[in-house]
Amino acid sequence: MNCRSEVLEVSVEGRQVDEAMLAVLHTILLQRSTGKFHYKKEGTYSIGTVGTQDVDCDFIDFTFVRVSSDELDRVIRKAVAEFKDALGNSGSDGMGQISLEFYQKKKSRWPFSDECIPWEVWSIKVNVVNLANEQERQICREKVGEKLGEKVINIVEVINRHDYLPKMPTQSEVDNVFDTSLKDVQPYLYKITYQITDSLGTSVSTTMRRLIKDTLAL
Amino acid sequence: MAHFDTEYQRLEASYSDSPPGEENLLVHVPEGSKSPWHHIENLDLFFQRVYNLHQKNGFTCMLLGEIFELVQLVFVVAFTVFLANCVDYDILFANKFVNHTDSSKVTLPDAFLPVDVCSARIRDNVFAIFILIISGVFWLHRLIKFIYNICCYWEIRSFYNNALKMSMTDLSYFTWQEVQGRIIEIQKEHQICIHKKELSELDIYHRILRFKNYMVAMVNKSLLPVRFRLPLLGDSVFYTRGLKYNFELIFFWGPGSLFENEWSLKPEYKRGGNRLELADRLSSRILWIGIANLLLCPVILIWQILYAFFSYTEVIKREPGSLGARCWSLYGRFYLRHFNELDHELMSRLSKGYKASSKYMNCFMSPLLTVVAKNVAFFAGSILAVLIALTIYDEDVLAVEHVLSSITLLGICITVCRSFIPDKHMVFCPEQLLKVILAHIHYMPDHWQGNAHRYETRDEFSQLFQYKAVFILEELLSPVVTPFILIFCLRRKSLEIIDFFRNFTVDVVGVGDTCSFAQMDVRQHGHPAWMSAGKTEASIYQQAEDGKTELSLMHFAITNPHWQPPRESTHFISLLKEKVHREAAAGQQGIIAENPAFTSTHSLQSDSEPRSLIANLLMGPPSLASLHMGREGTINPVSIGVSEGASALRSLSPVSTSLHLRGSYPSARLPRPDHPAVVAGRPMTGSSTDARTISSGSSAWEGQLTSMVLSEYASTEMSIHALYMHEMHKQQSRGEVSRHTWHRQESDESSESVNEDIEAARTFPRSSTFPTTSHQAGAAQQSGSQRRWGGTSDPVSGSFRAQRTPRMPMGGWSEENQMSRHHDPVPEEGSEDELPPHIHKV
Repeated sequence: MNCRSEVLEVSVEGRQVDEAMLAVLHTILLQRSTGKFHYKKEGTYSIGTVGTQDVDCDFIDFTFVRVSSDELDRVIRKAVAEFKDALGNSGSDGMGQISLEFYQKKKSRWPFSDECIPWEVWSIKVNVVNLANEQERQICREKVGEKLGEKVINIVEVINRHDYLPKMPTQSEVDNVFDTSLKDVQPYLYKITYQITDSLGTSVSTTMRRLIKDTLAL
Repeated sequence: MAHFDTEYQRLEASYSDSPPGEENLLVHVPEGSKSPWHHIENLDLFFQRVYNLHQKNGFTCMLLGEIFELVQLVFVVAFTVFLANCVDYDILFANKFVNHTDSSKVTLPDAFLPVDVCSARIRDNVFAIFILIISGVFWLHRLIKFIYNICCYWEIRSFYNNALKMSMTDLSYFTWQEVQGRIIEIQKEHQICIHKKELSELDIYHRILRFKNYMVAMVNKSLLPVRFRLPLLGDSVFYTRGLKYNFELIFFWGPGSLFENEWSLKPEYKRGGNRLELADRLSSRILWIGIANLLLCPVILIWQILYAFFSYTEVIKREPGSLGARCWSLYGRFYLRHFNELDHELMSRLSKGYKASSKYMNCFMSPLLTVVAKNVAFFAGSILAVLIALTIYDEDVLAVEHVLSSITLLGICITVCRSFIPDKHMVFCPEQLLKVILAHIHYMPDHWQGNAHRYETRDEFSQLFQYKAVFILEELLSPVVTPFILIFCLRRKSLEIIDFFRNFTVDVVGVGDTCSFAQMDVRQHGHPAWMSAGKTEASIYQQAEDGKTELSLMHFAITNPHWQPPRESTHFISLLKEKVHREAAAGQQGIIAENPAFTSTHSLQSDSEPRSLIANLLMGPPSLASLHMGREGTINPVSIGVSEGASALRSLSPVSTSLHLRGSYPSARLPRPDHPAVVAGRPMTGSSTDARTISSGSSAWEGQLTSMVLSEYASTEMSIHALYMHEMHKQQSRGEVSRHTWHRQESDESSESVNEDIEAARTFPRSSTFPTTSHQAGAAQQSGSQRRWGGTSDPVSGSFRAQRTPRMPMGGWSEENQMSRHHDPVPEEGSEDELPPHIHKV
C-alpha cells in the first residue's frame, strides 16, 4: 500500500504497441535516472552527466526523448518485445498492462531475504485496436501521437510534485536505491512486469506467498 | 614580409579534459537513510503490531505469554494421552490391591503403568495416534508462527526504543494516545507513510481497525446471519469465535477472499457490472469452506472440549458461582462497538458498565424459583451441617465412602441456590439502572427505554450480556453449528454481501480501501432521527442504525482531541457540545438564582476552581433541581434524563472520584486562584464547547496523572453526550412521551430514609481526605436538601420553561416526574456499594 501508483491508458494499433510503450517507459525513466555517482572520501559525491537523445517513431507521429544509454535501451526494448509477443500470442481482445515499478531494497535480519519495497508504480494499460484501411491508419497515427504527447505532459506533472523519493544513499547503500549495473547512467531500482488481459488475480507465486504470510500472521 | 605586431595573441589553453569525477564542480552530501523506519511497506500490519505490543505491556510479557501458550498446548495433549493410556484406574479406585511388602499405603506412582506397557497401549490406540498427529501438526504451525512473530515484534521493539524513544520498561506508563501522538510526530521526520506529509489519528485507527470496522458495520446493518428464531428458545443470537474466524476467513484474508491484500478490495468487486457472477462465486466459496469446516468438525470439537475442560474445571471447583457470572457476549461487543474504537477503549467502557448491568440482570428473579431455591438450600444446608458437625467430632467420618463427595456436592448445591435468592436490601429500579448502563455502553434499541422492567427487554439485553456458562456452551457447540450456518444461512446472503462491499468501500488516499461508515461522515451515513436531520443526505440503506455514525463521531472526537475532523463534522460536534452545555448551564442557573446559600458557595467555588458542566452534573445539584422543577412541570425531559443518568453515574462510577480528585488537586495545593495551573485548567473544565480545549488543558498539564485523569474525563464526557443524544433521539422519534412508571412497593417507602443516611455517609470519606472536595460535596448536598424541603418557584426556571415549552412534547409530564422521583434512590443505593472503592482510590 505504501506506494504511489499512477495509471495511464492508451489504445493503439498492433504495430504501434512497442513504440508507444517505449515512448512512455523511456519518458518515465528519463525523469527517474541520474548520472553515475562518484563517491569521495569525505562522504560526499559528485554526479556524472546524462546524455539525452531524440527518438523518432516510425508508426506514430511522435518524437520522444530518452536517456542516451544503449544498455538501458536494450533492457527496455527486450521487456517491451516480450510484452508484444505475449500480447500477440494471447489471441484474445488485445488488452494488456505493463507496469514499471520503482522500489527500494531493505536489508533484513537473517531469517528473511531482503525486502523489495516499491514506492512508485506506473501501470500502462494498452488496448489494441484493429483498423480496416489505410486512411484510418493515417488518422490513428496522428491521434496516437497527440495522445502520447498528453501522456508525457501528465508524467512530467506527476514527477514535478513534491512527493516522496528515497533519500540519497551513502556509498554502502547505493545498491539499495539505484541500479548501478549500467555503465553510463544510474536509474532508480526498477522492475518491468506485464500482464495480459485482466486475468483474475495475480500470479500463482504471489498468491502462495501471501497465503503463507497470512497464515503466519494470523 | 612585414611583421605585424598586433595585440592579438594565441590563447594558451588553460583547461584540460579531466576525467569525470575529478573536478570539484558540484559536490553533494548524501543524507543516507538514517533510520530504518522510513517508508514501511505494510503499514497496516506495522501499526497493528505497534498497538499489540503496547497492549501486551511490552516485549518480555508478550514473549512469555506466547511461550506459555505453546507449553500449554503440549501439556494439554500429553496429559490427556497420559490419562487415557497410562493410568491403572483399578488401583486408584481400590478395586485391585497392590502387593507391597513394606507398607499397605497406595501411592500415586503405583497407579501408573510401566513405560513399555504404556507405549504399547498408545501404539495400539489408533485414535490416540490420530490425535497426536493432528495436534503435532497444529503445534508445529504454532511454533513457526511464534518464531516469525518474535522476529517481527523484535523490529517493533526497536522501533519503540529508537524511533519513539520509549523503553520497554516504561511502556506501561504511556497511554495509547501518547504513543499515537509520538507516531504522528515522527512521521514528519521519518516518513513512515509516503503518501502524506502528516498522519492523522484517523489514519492510524483506520489501518488498525480496517476489518473490524467492516464487521461492526455488517453487524450494524444486520447483514451477518447471527440472529436466529429457534422453535423453543425464541429469538436468539449465535455468534462465536469460530464463526467470527470463518467470516473473516471468507471476507478478508482467506484464499480467494474479497480483499486483494490488507488494504485493497479486488477491483472486480468495486464494479457493479458482474455482481451476480461474483455472488455465485462467493456462495460456492462459502460452500467449500463450510464443507471443510464440517470435515474438520470432530478435530475442532475435541480440541474445544479438552481446552474447556482444562481451563474451566479448576475455576468451577474453586468458585462455582463463576458460572453464574456474566460476560459481554461476542455479539454484544460488535453491537456496542463504535466505528474506530480500539479494543482497550471498548473493554474499559464495557467493564465500567459491568456492575450496573449485572445488577440490572439480577433484578429479574423469578419468584417461583426463589421459593424453590430457598427450600432446597435449607434442606441441603441442614444435611451439610450435620455432616460437618460429625466430621469435626470424629474425622473418620470422612473415610466413609461418598461422605467427602456429598459434602462437596451439597456445598455446590447451596451456592447455586443462593444465587437464585435475591438480596434482601436490593431495590428494583430497572429504568434507572438501564440509564446508567446506557451511559457506558452507548447503544441501545429504542424500544428498551420505558420498557426496562419487562422480561422481553431483559431477554434482549441478555443477548448482549450472557452467562459465562452459556458462553462456554456456545463455544463448545460452535464447531458443530458453524458449518451449517455457513452453508445454509450465509450462502443465501452472498449477493447482499457483494453489494455491501461495493457500496460501502471508499478509497482513502494514503490508507487504502476502508469501510465508508468508518469515515463517520454525518452527511453520508447520518440518520435523521439522530440529530443529523438536515445534514444527512443518506438513503435508508446508507444510514447507520442506532445512531452509530453520530455516536462514533462524538466518541472519536472526544477520545482524540487533537484530531481535525472535516468541516461538517466539526460543525456537528460543536453544535452538539454547545447544546449539552446549554442544557446543563440552564439547569444550574436555576439553582443559583433560587438558593442564596448555594450561590455563595458556588461563587466561592468558581473562584477557586472552574467546573465543567460534567463536574456540575456529577456534583448532583442539577439532578435534584430538575427533580423539583419537574414537580412543577417546568423542565425539559432531556435534561432530566441526562442529569438523572449523570447523578446515577456520579455514584456508580469511580470517575466522579477522579474528577473530584482532580478538581481539588490544584485548589488544595495551590490556593491562589490565579495560579497558572488553575488558569490552564480553566479552559479545560470551564465553559468550553470545543473538543480542542481539552487538548490545551493536556498540554498545560504534563504528567501521567493528568493523562489518566483526562482519559477518565473524556469517557465521562462521552457518557453524558451519549445520554443526551439518546434522550434527544427519543424525543425526536416519539411525538409524545408515554413512559411507564413502575416500581416496587418497598422502594417507595424506603427511599427517603435510605436517602438521608447515605447522604450523610457519603460526605464522610471525602472529608477525611480532601477537605475542599468534601466541603463542596457537602454544600451540594446541602443545597440539594434545601431545595428539597424549601422548594419554591423561581424566576429563572420560569423563564427557562418559557424558552423550552415550544419544543416540549405534549403530555406525560407528571409521569416523567413521578418516575424520576421514584428512581431517585437508586444512585444513592448504588453509592452505598461503591463507597469502599472510593475510599481505596482516594
